[in-house]
Amino acid sequence: MGTTSAQPTPGASGNGLGRRDLIKRSAAIGLVTVPGVGFLSSCASGTGGDTDKVDKGKVTKDNPLGVNESAALEVVIFDGGFGQQYAVDAEKKYNEKYPKAPKVKHSATQKIQTTLQPKFNGGTPPDLIDNSGAEQMDMGVLVGKKQLADLTPLMDAPSLDDPAKKVRDTLRPGVLEMGQFDGDPVWIMYYAYTVYGVWYSKTALEKLDSAYPETWDDMLALCAKAKKQGIAGWTYPGKYPYYLPFSLYPFIGKIGGREVLDAIDNLEPNAWKHPAVKAAFEAYYELFRKGYVLKGTPGMTHIQAQTAWTKGKALFIPNGSWVENEAAPTTPKDFEMAVAAPSSLDSSDKLPFGTIWASGGEPFIVPAKAKNPEGGMEQLRIMLSEASSRNFTEQVKSLTAFNGGTDGLTLSSALQAGVDALDKAGENVVNPRLQDWYVKLQKEQIGVAGLGEMMAGRATPAETIAKIQGYADAAAKDPNIKHYKHQ
Amino acid sequence: MKTTETPPPAVRQGGDRGPDQAAHAGAGRSGRQPGGEGAALNVFSHGVLVIWAIMVVLPLLWAVMTSFKTDDAILSSPWSLPDGLHLENWGRAWNQAHMSDYFLNTIIVVGGSLVGTLVLGSMAAYVLARFEFPGNRFVYYLFLGGNSFPIMLALVPLFYVMSNLSLLNTLHGLILVYIAYSLPFTVFFLTAFFRTLPSSVAEAALIDGASHSRTFFQVMLPMARPGLISVGIFNFLGQWNQYMLPTVLNTEPETKVLSQGLVELATSQGYKGDWSGLFAGLVMAMLPVLGAYIVFQRQVVSGLTAGALK
Amino acid sequence: MQHGKYRFITGFLALPLGLYLLFVVWPFVQSIYYSFTDWTGLSPEFGMIGAGNYTRMLDDPVFWKSLQHSLVLVLVLPLVTLGLALFFAFMINVGGRRRNAVVAGVRGSAFYKIAYFFPQVLSIAIVALLFQFAFNPDDGMINATLEAVGLGSIQPDWLGDPDLALIVVMMVLVWSTVGFFVVLFSAGMASIPREIYEAALLDGATRFTTFFRVTLPLLWDTVQSGWVYMGILALGAESFAVVQIMTVGPGGPDYSTTVLPLYVYQAAFRDGQAAYATTIGVALLVVTLAFAAIVMRLGRRERLEF
Repeated sequence: MGTTSAQPTPGASGNGLGRRDLIKRSAAIGLVTVPGVGFLSSCASGTGGDTDKVDKGKVTKDNPLGVNESAALEVVIFDGGFGQQYAVDAEKKYNEKYPKAPKVKHSATQKIQTTLQPKFNGGTPPDLIDNSGAEQMDMGVLVGKKQLADLTPLMDAPSLDDPAKKVRDTLRPGVLEMGQFDGDPVWIMYYAYTVYGVWYSKTALEKLDSAYPETWDDMLALCAKAKKQGIAGWTYPGKYPYYLPFSLYPFIGKIGGREVLDAIDNLEPNAWKHPAVKAAFEAYYELFRKGYVLKGTPGMTHIQAQTAWTKGKALFIPNGSWVENEAAPTTPKDFEMAVAAPSSLDSSDKLPFGTIWASGGEPFIVPAKAKNPEGGMEQLRIMLSEASSRNFTEQVKSLTAFNGGTDGLTLSSALQAGVDALDKAGENVVNPRLQDWYVKLQKEQIGVAGLGEMMAGRATPAETIAKIQGYADAAAKDPNIKHYKHQ
Repeated sequence: MKTTETPPPAVRQGGDRGPDQAAHAGAGRSGRQPGGEGAALNVFSHGVLVIWAIMVVLPLLWAVMTSFKTDDAILSSPWSLPDGLHLENWGRAWNQAHMSDYFLNTIIVVGGSLVGTLVLGSMAAYVLARFEFPGNRFVYYLFLGGNSFPIMLALVPLFYVMSNLSLLNTLHGLILVYIAYSLPFTVFFLTAFFRTLPSSVAEAALIDGASHSRTFFQVMLPMARPGLISVGIFNFLGQWNQYMLPTVLNTEPETKVLSQGLVELATSQGYKGDWSGLFAGLVMAMLPVLGAYIVFQRQVVSGLTAGALK
Repeated sequence: MQHGKYRFITGFLALPLGLYLLFVVWPFVQSIYYSFTDWTGLSPEFGMIGAGNYTRMLDDPVFWKSLQHSLVLVLVLPLVTLGLALFFAFMINVGGRRRNAVVAGVRGSAFYKIAYFFPQVLSIAIVALLFQFAFNPDDGMINATLEAVGLGSIQPDWLGDPDLALIVVMMVLVWSTVGFFVVLFSAGMASIPREIYEAALLDGATRFTTFFRVTLPLLWDTVQSGWVYMGILALGAESFAVVQIMTVGPGGPDYSTTVLPLYVYQAAFRDGQAAYATTIGVALLVVTLAFAAIVMRLGRRERLEF
């Protein structure tokens, strides 16, 4: 018997169903539920659950998580910009460490939710998932529905490299907190580490006898200079305007301080009406008004905008550190790709130049109903070792959550620029959470309907702010969305 | 015989042939149209036909050309000719889409479901088109409704039906599902088609003492050949390109089908920028389909001749 | 006789209908049941919330926008696509004039028959990717052509322009579906006996009158099904794929291209609200069936036989 048939009995139907509705619907529902037997039943969850779990192994110094040494392990990797080889390599290490376990069952897909949805519903999810990509499963829902295992044991386990150090102490700042939703449990381990900001080509700027403009006035002057030579100042993925926040949000944070970004994340009333937001929006709008945005930008995909940028048609593009890998096919050899923090608007900015957005990417989760959750966490522990982290950085030119692991590596220009930007930022790393917490608000409403319209010149900053505030207020009130607050 | 409305020779367009003119001059009798109808229509008609042909052929040629270019060239100068034949694209696509591994599975699944779809679909359609019985309209709209609900919403319940019948990750399970999901379209179209067929022939057969099923298989099916072939072509295309169902129901590498490999190629361009591999893969997957159509197309033509004989 | 008829009907319907009920209707029915729950799609637990999703839907401005665009698609696309397809099929099959009274297509019809089918060999996802290149405002084929013919001053942003985006979507859908109906109508025309045309020709009918007096009436059932089917495509997976892959957002700019199936997808696969997605799916089902019923009713005619 599945959930379908178990639910509609009056006792189980919960309080959401009005009596009148119950009577009205009973006929239709009865029709659905009566045949809910045998092979027609929709769901296997009734019989699944904890009984399927493998026995825990013995906790030893080498096996702090108590992994069952002969149990099978199943891993599903999102096969995107980072590929899957790094995971395969780490799985080999798992098998080397636990030779009695069968070969790790590895699969990779770009359709995470389509593939895994039935398994979550049936209570038979894999042991470790890289829940990423356009079809990632909503984390808030997974946490809210208690589908995830708490990763605290992993965080408290000794690191693979140094038994004196806990895993939590080897991570980059902010990564662990990102995995928390409310309270102490850690639900998500973000494995990659992304630097967001204003991306440019050092070579292109040198050709204009310039360096990266540290103030907004210099930025405008540089754009004017470029315009005379037929080069646009900025471009962005017009079809996905939610790339704009990658440089706009830290800009807002720099002008008005962290509190402004936190208020925005917390969906506080009038958070968007803060003067810092207005100043930042007006600065960006001026790029459009003065004709510094590449013509046609509102109709371009990320690939098209990046290609225009690598071809030297525009100087700057808001982006994340994956752009190096993604734009590699069209990047000229002497491009000298680099990233910088947003320019200073004026001397009254609350945070210094260098304030940047950096945060975790590639969210790894261990399902609560996984058969071998200890194995899943152990696999993560292996991935968070210095050797695996280096392997990742070498293969896909991205940093990991492991703090370090780049010494002795020859870094590409873009990766080095990212490391330098982080050094320069020091404490001043901001981490806006809208894109993890409220995907629809961030992408469709703020991004497409708000910023996209403004940068295409179809709405003024004031109109845009009012519109976005309206969306944020609606999201704050929406009972169908789970809400979060900065701790 | 020759038409009468065709305009005077001087303004006739290239699509028609000179020699017609003599026959046609003699045939001119009634119904001569106000001058220019044919001419204007000819220019217009042929113009539109040619323009549309260009519009559909060029993108395809472009895709073939693009499959020989480097990623850089595809993105930087999408409309230029390739600087050389980059055959490595094809090799990469062949391996990445697991073309060789999945080809046999695809043939089995698409072949099996195509035959099953046509047989079952035409049986149901024939009954719905030709027989009055209580519930006829209901069944018809039930099939029609299957076209109009998003498949993606049914995936989770379907997964459990399959799981409980032990049909997950099996080729025969996939065949059954493909047939079931092709039936709405097939039944819908063949019903319309059976209705257009003359009933006199079937009646004659029945009067001659043939049973209903005999009449169907020996008289009606051959007459419905052009319709069956077109529906067959489109089911072939649909099943060949179907990826939503196998993505969920068929996840083991041994039973995967081609479309799954192709979709991986198509989605990964967004993350990995392997455009050349994508175009090579899609051209590769396109060729068998195009070949199948050309073969079937001849059948449509011969179906036409068969129709003329009846 | 009656007894035999019903046994025959049952025998012929049992297998297809059984398969269809088991693998299609039953999952659909279960899925519709979820629209009365708060199922997320990501966990087996859910509770009944009655008609909550339906009242929410009626208050949802994005739903109404999606519905509005879907209705535009369902009205415009069948007209344009079927109009073009009928014209092409007629020209290819009977539009030509030949000696010896053979009814045939225009010169080159063999070529057209193959060429017009080309878009069909590409899956709709690939078609959308292809046109993404063509409509690139920066160096896409279409703006390049405009520039080449001296219209460089009008180079729209196409998909980036809210007034044009939906039109571009419709153009791509027409491009990719016309070939299907050309083949379909060709098959229908092939089953019309030649003598009828020849008789019409002898009576001095023009191509114009032949088409409206002979071809169209005899093809009416097929045209009508084609109309319904095109409507289903316009409301269903095809329009979803094009909007999803090509448009800003997708669904933009500023909700100017969002359609019902896209909204279903976003609710289910982005927002983790599978129950609400199902509710919109039910609305889609209702719209589609209403559309089909209207076309069937409007198109009801005396059945012609020959």
